Amino acid sequence: MADHIVTAYDTELQTLGRKIAEMGGIAEKMLSDAMDALVALDVDLAQAVVASDPRLDVLQRDIESASIMTIARRQPMAVDLREIVAAIRVSGDLERVGDLAKNIAKRAVKIATEPRVPRAVIGLKHMNELAANQLKDVLDAYAERDVERAQAVWTRDSELDALEDSIFRDLLTFMMEDPRNISFCTHLLFCSKNIERVGDHATNIAETVFYLATGDTLPLDRPKLRSGGSLVPTPEAQDEP
Amino acid sequence: MTTVADALTGADASTAAEPAPERAGRPALNKVSVRDLKFFYGDTLAIKGVSLNLEANRVTAFIGPSGCGKSTLLRVLNRMYDLYPRQRAEGEVLLDGQNILDPAMDLNLLRARIGMVFQKPTPFPMSIYENIAFGIRLYEKLPKSELDGRVEKALQGAALWNEVKDKLSASGLSLSGGQQQRLCIARTVALKPDVILLDEPCSALDPISTARVEELIDELKGQYTIAIVTHNMQQAARCSDYTAFMYLGELIEFGDTQRMFTSPTQKQTQQYITGRFG
Repeated sequence: MADHIVTAYDTELQTLGRKIAEMGGIAEKMLSDAMDALVALDVDLAQAVVASDPRLDVLQRDIESASIMTIARRQPMAVDLREIVAAIRVSGDLERVGDLAKNIAKRAVKIATEPRVPRAVIGLKHMNELAANQLKDVLDAYAERDVERAQAVWTRDSELDALEDSIFRDLLTFMMEDPRNISFCTHLLFCSKNIERVGDHATNIAETVFYLATGDTLPLDRPKLRSGGSLVPTPEAQDEP
Repeated sequence: MTTVADALTGADASTAAEPAPERAGRPALNKVSVRDLKFFYGDTLAIKGVSLNLEANRVTAFIGPSGCGKSTLLRVLNRMYDLYPRQRAEGEVLLDGQNILDPAMDLNLLRARIGMVFQKPTPFPMSIYENIAFGIRLYEKLPKSELDGRVEKALQGAALWNEVKDKLSASGLSLSGGQQQRLCIARTVALKPDVILLDEPCSALDPISTARVEELIDELKGQYTIAIVTHNMQQAARCSDYTAFMYLGELIEFGDTQRMFTSPTQKQTQQYITGRFG
């Protein structure tokens, strides 16, 4: 698309895009570092993850206030309006991803002194890789305004949900085998929930990319692999009173 | 979304993809249908075959860069161009099914049914009361008491009554710009027209007067069919139900206002409303 007649308008939008890209990079690194710290019980790495979260928060605030200023100054329309709304939404999602990664890192510090169940981490590591891929894909889709790629991420989230189910079963088994595993495995249970949430944020971003590129919204119902007999409550089930 | 193609085939504007809730369940009535309209200033073709409908009790906004033909189109709708030599229109403009381009059309009656408000307020150099009463007297012979009622009603309809009721004999020219513009709207409303044409009615007004006129447009659309030409995109987005984007005498895109300003389908519309026009 051609440039705006007002050059400063383009600069403002480009700055927003650059900050989102920086947030994406930080969030991706936090997520994979948090999992590495968990697997290797590396307390220093875990603390480094926790320490990088404030930068993400600052960026999100910057993006939000810059977006508000652009709306006030330029009264954006059509694709510009969608771009700014997308920046606000995506930065919110990425900030949450950072929080979830930070939570995993904090748990890595806590369980460093617990009795370990090495095989319990394998499934979690795999799940984290899948979530990290989803995040990477959706950030690429955002950068390229690639609708198909965003839709693929959106559809693939059900794999993460299914994986969370199976990890839940595994961890239950370990806990039943030996009650001394309970503390360790409970932390892992929360980690798997966190990773599943990261997937949800990737899905949110996918929906935002779709809106940004097309002006339309994806359907409310996402395809689900989870059966009705899922052990892990689905978000909908959690919402019920 | 009504595309240009739909518009050209005369497809109903109400087939827009997402009808607003209050529009649902009520069949759309096209007050004005423009069919393949061409307009000439001498030998210059200013409107190149435009077709669209103005839905009854809805506000249709016309946007586009200067010289795109939007004001010309408005001037055709009440045959204002007839006042000038060497200007002519081809095609059809149907008001309730009747072609107003018909040479046999009574222009005085037409202009009573399709009123127009201009960019610059044009009060007559007479009292506020007479500004309104003058027009009514041209068409109807009313006893004084009834005329008083009509004047009051028109001023109330234009949200001006409270500000001028104690000085009805003061000159119309003594009012502020925003009040003058509302006086002109009152003058139009007093004739009980079917359609009100507004040609950049707020471009000379301050933001408060603009807000008053916009509020007024919102109230008036309950009774009238309104077409507004505006250079202020936000105003079009705020006030109108449908938006038509014109460029170089052609209708590029016509559709639901909400859709037009969030995700227009035509590249030219997109570029214009986002401030990217070369």
